[in-house]
Amino acid sequence: MTGTHGDHGNRAQGLGETRISRRRMLKHAGAAGALATAGRPLLAAGGAALGSSLATPAVSRAQDGITLRGIFLPATWGTVTQEVLAPEYTAQTGVNVVIDLIGRDAIHDRMGTLFVAQDSSYDIFNVDYNWVPEFARAGHLLAMDDLLSAPEMAGDDFLPRALDVARWEGVLYGIPQTVHPHILWYRKDLFEEAGLEPPATMQEWREIVEQFQGQTFGDQEVYGWAAQAARGFGNVHTWLTFLYSFGGSTFNFETMEPTLTTPEATEATAFWADMMRFTPPGINDYTYDEVTADAAAGRIATCLQWSWGAFAVDDPSISKTVGLWEFVKVPAGTASVPHLAEWVIAVSNYSQQQEEALKFIQWLESPENDVRQALLGGGDPVRASSYENPELTEATVEGFPGLLRFRRYPETLEAMQTTQPRPLFPEEERWEQVVSVPLHAIQLGEMTVEEGLAKAQDDVNRMMQELGYF
Amino acid sequence: MSAGRSALPREQVRSRRRHLVPYLVMLPALLFLLAVSIVPLVYSLVVSLLRFNLMNLDRTGFVGLRNFQLILESPDFWNSLRVTALFVVIAVGLELVLGLALALVLSRDVPGIGFFRSFILVPLALAPVVVGLLWRFMLNTESGVLNWIVTLFGLPRLDFLSNTLLALPIIALVDVWQWTPFMFLILLAAIQALPHEPFEAAAIDGASTWETIVHIALPMLRYPILVAVLLRTIDAFRVYDLIFMMTRGGPINATDTLSWSVYNVGFRNFNMGYAAALSWIILIIVTVIVTIFIRLLSGRGEQPA
Repeated sequence: MTGTHGDHGNRAQGLGETRISRRRMLKHAGAAGALATAGRPLLAAGGAALGSSLATPAVSRAQDGITLRGIFLPATWGTVTQEVLAPEYTAQTGVNVVIDLIGRDAIHDRMGTLFVAQDSSYDIFNVDYNWVPEFARAGHLLAMDDLLSAPEMAGDDFLPRALDVARWEGVLYGIPQTVHPHILWYRKDLFEEAGLEPPATMQEWREIVEQFQGQTFGDQEVYGWAAQAARGFGNVHTWLTFLYSFGGSTFNFETMEPTLTTPEATEATAFWADMMRFTPPGINDYTYDEVTADAAAGRIATCLQWSWGAFAVDDPSISKTVGLWEFVKVPAGTASVPHLAEWVIAVSNYSQQQEEALKFIQWLESPENDVRQALLGGGDPVRASSYENPELTEATVEGFPGLLRFRRYPETLEAMQTTQPRPLFPEEERWEQVVSVPLHAIQLGEMTVEEGLAKAQDDVNRMMQELGYF
Repeated sequence: MSAGRSALPREQVRSRRRHLVPYLVMLPALLFLLAVSIVPLVYSLVVSLLRFNLMNLDRTGFVGLRNFQLILESPDFWNSLRVTALFVVIAVGLELVLGLALALVLSRDVPGIGFFRSFILVPLALAPVVVGLLWRFMLNTESGVLNWIVTLFGLPRLDFLSNTLLALPIIALVDVWQWTPFMFLILLAAIQALPHEPFEAAAIDGASTWETIVHIALPMLRYPILVAVLLRTIDAFRVYDLIFMMTRGGPINATDTLSWSVYNVGFRNFNMGYAAALSWIILIIVTVIVTIFIRLLSGRGEQPA
């Protein structure tokens, strides 16, 4: 999940994710059920053909007996799919959709082993986009360009960068389910009390976090900022936002030579390492969960966090800071370029029911269901139209009239204009592991910025040579 | 005559059949062993000689000992070996000392001892992943109970799991918490099987408790201790669950054990050739350790009774 469950992807679920989504789901499920029932004649009437094979899900029970199996992430979008949308699809079409939820690393392991055995047990997979090149190159994923170009899919409506990361060598292998670029969260009340404006540049942000670090508000000691920093993908994902925002890059993509020791990379890394001084104790082991917990507890003044995670701080059952967080784009070094996190849905090339799998994905990621997934507490939408839909833009937090539930969306949408993904090549997962170690050494002060980046450069060079890139 | 001539071969046939019976009885077990152990072992040896990545099968090819060479040239391997060795020494060493001490104390027949003996075994019943998660929570810098205790003494909170000096010893201590009862169980059984006479004689001769333990109990417990240490060493060498749940090899690479490296290379990078070679190196190391222990054990008959 690109870190949405932190480095320890198989650990306990994110703070309150399931509780929140279930409550919201219960609220919306009734309406969803009614919509499903009422919508049957409409769906039947509007079931225009999708190419030759991908018709809108038929409402007859002709497909009874078909079972689709999928593996999704146990984050809110996976839970919503498992508990609400899949049963609803079954009720509409007779196609039984069984969704298993397993942690991030376990999904990757499972996909690898199932694919090598050409096993058809599972048809659909929730895929962290950085795995697309790896599995697509090996021929394990079904190309989905036809699905995207079907009129009913309204392919033009998808956020362009969300689609770009699901492609390998120009072919689409996944349909986006949720995007969550980094945005800067800040405590509006603390900023007002201190007479501060949200930062527009990295330098302004640094001055602000230094000012907040160690201050006490009420009886709560506050730290400047937090972000994922644990070894694994956590620290890499945070560092990438700094790297990109200072104009750096991970590779020269023409030669695939690493570019980790450029002046831009060095400046970005030095800035990030310096910023780590203004974080809570234990930061070097922080995953998504710890950042969210600190934000909900009011222990931090700002944080660099996935846009989607903001739902947790507006839940009064787990948060002391409901309504106190606001959101702006990532402060600019030379520009504001947040790192992108995103999950897509892919179909196994070994599935015996690819047509049915594509129909389900078409339904799940339809414009209507993109909005409904957000309302049910799933991930942030992947379609541009959803960000303008009044159902979302005017929705308020339950029990807090006037507090916009999705007030982060304008910043999220803006971030999606400039966001950059992790380097897209088949061995990216390994690249993250390699880079993560020297970055952790820099964080912990065991290496200087120059030493750490030099080691990262050497290690990546060695890896790329071993892999035959040069 | 003719009857006698025909009886002899029949007897020989029966005899041969009798000789075959043990082999026939063993055959299913041998076939099972061949299928689940020998064949995978040989296969993994073959894989270790290949460039073989599950996600890039086009580049598959015979590379001889290249994977082994890459491993031995890699500083990461030597770091993992050092980390693993350190973990085994700390964990197994402490488990032995504590397990023996507990066994000596709880071998006495006093009221309520049965409860303590049962209670002490509870950690053994927990899955290592549960133990890892439990301790991860308890060691949390902000909300962990251990840091709460630390602050009661006016000390600053400690980043237990992101401190390069503390992380490995702490994981070893968690292992000690879980596996000391195993050591205790073996040694308690051994202590209870010891003959009373040498101890009674020592008491009559005026030996102190310490002298009795050092000069009588420990020599008599030598072989149970060796067996217990051998089993725990093999197990500790493969530590994976605790690392997965608590540090994932970090901070930096301070808890990168060999098993964790195999997982990373094999199941996250799908580099099966390298992972198989690494597994074979681990197997060779463990085999050397086991051989040393077995040599020590096989000296049993030469020891005075």
